[in-house]
Amino acid sequence: MNEFLQEIYSSPFFAICLSVLAYAVGYWLNRKTGLPLLNPLLIAIILVVLVIQILHIPMESYNQGGDIISMFLAPATAVLAVSIYRQLDILKKNIVPVVAGAVVGSLVSMGSVTLLCRLFRLEEKITASLLPKSVTTPIAMGISEQHGGIVSVTVAAVVVTGIVGAMLAPALIKLFRVKNPVAAGVAIGTASHALGTSKAIEIGEIEGAMSGIAIGAAGLCTVIFAMFAG
Amino acid sequence: MKLLIQIAIVFGICLLGEGISMLIPIPVPASVVSMVLLFLCLLFGWLREEHIRDKADFLLKNMAFFFIPAGVSILEHFDTIKGIILPFLFICFFTTILTFAATAGTVALVSRWMNRGEKYE
Repeated sequence: MNEFLQEIYSSPFFAICLSVLAYAVGYWLNRKTGLPLLNPLLIAIILVVLVIQILHIPMESYNQGGDIISMFLAPATAVLAVSIYRQLDILKKNIVPVVAGAVVGSLVSMGSVTLLCRLFRLEEKITASLLPKSVTTPIAMGISEQHGGIVSVTVAAVVVTGIVGAMLAPALIKLFRVKNPVAAGVAIGTASHALGTSKAIEIGEIEGAMSGIAIGAAGLCTVIFAMFAG
Repeated sequence: MKLLIQIAIVFGICLLGEGISMLIPIPVPASVVSMVLLFLCLLFGWLREEHIRDKADFLLKNMAFFFIPAGVSILEHFDTIKGIILPFLFICFFTTILTFAATAGTVALVSRWMNRGEKYE
C-alpha cells in the first residue's frame, strides 16, 4: 500500500491536482470572506505545505508536477508584454515617472535592506542574500551569487517579499492614498516583482501593465546598482 | 489548433529569449528578455495581439497560481533561515512596504511635476 501511495505521490498529475485544488480553496475563501489578507496564493502554499508534511511526501515527488507548473512562469512573465502593449499610450505619456519610480524604488529597497541587516547584526553573506529580494528570482539569484550570498536564502526572501506585496498591495494603496493607477502599478512591480504583479493584474489593467514594466525596469536598476555595491 | 499555434508562438518566443539571455554578458533572465522580445514583436507589427490573445489571457489571469511551487520550495530552504527567521520576516515586510511607498510617491510626484501647467492630469 505504502509503495503504491509513493508511486501516486510522485506522479506529476498529483502535484498539479493538489496545487489547483489548494488554489481553488484559497480563491473560494478569499471570495467568501472578501479579506485581501486571505490571499489565494498564500492559502494555497500553506495548504500544499501542510499536505506534504502530514502525508510525508518527499519534495522530489511534489516537484515532479511542481516543476511543470513553474515552467509556466517564464511564458506568464513574457505575456506581460501583451498587457503593456494594451496600455502603450499610457506608457508613452508616463515613461519618465515610471523610470524615476523604478530607480528610486530599487535604491530604497537595497538601501533599507542593507541598513536593517546592519541593525540586526546579520552576517555579511545574509546581507548579500537579501539585497536583491525585491526583484524577480533569476536576477536576484545572479546578484546574490556575485556578492557571496546564499542562493536558497535569496529564493526564500524573494518569494516571501512577493507574497507580502501581493497580500498587502490593496491595503497599501489605501494607506498611502495612491490615486494614480500608474503609481500603484509601478510601486507593486518594483517592490514585489512578478508575484506582486499577479495581484496588480487583478486590481486593474493599467496597474497590471505598469507593474509588468516595473519588473524589467527595477530588475535592470538593481543589476546596475549592485555592481557599485561592492 | 488555434490554441496550439498560440502556445507554440509564446513558447517559441520564450525559447528565443532563453537563447539570447545565454548569449548576452549581463545577467538578464530569459523571462525578461522574452517579455522585451514579445513587446517588440507587437510594437513593430510582426505579431498581432489576436495571434496570442487566448494564451496570453490564460497566463495573465492565472499568474498567481504558477507561483505555488516556488512558495512551497521555501520548505526546502527553511533550515537555512530558521536561525534568523524573525529579522528575516521583519526585513521582508518592512522594506517591501517602504519600497512601495517610495516608488508610488516618486511616480506621483514626477508625473505631477511634468503635468504642471496642464489643466487636467
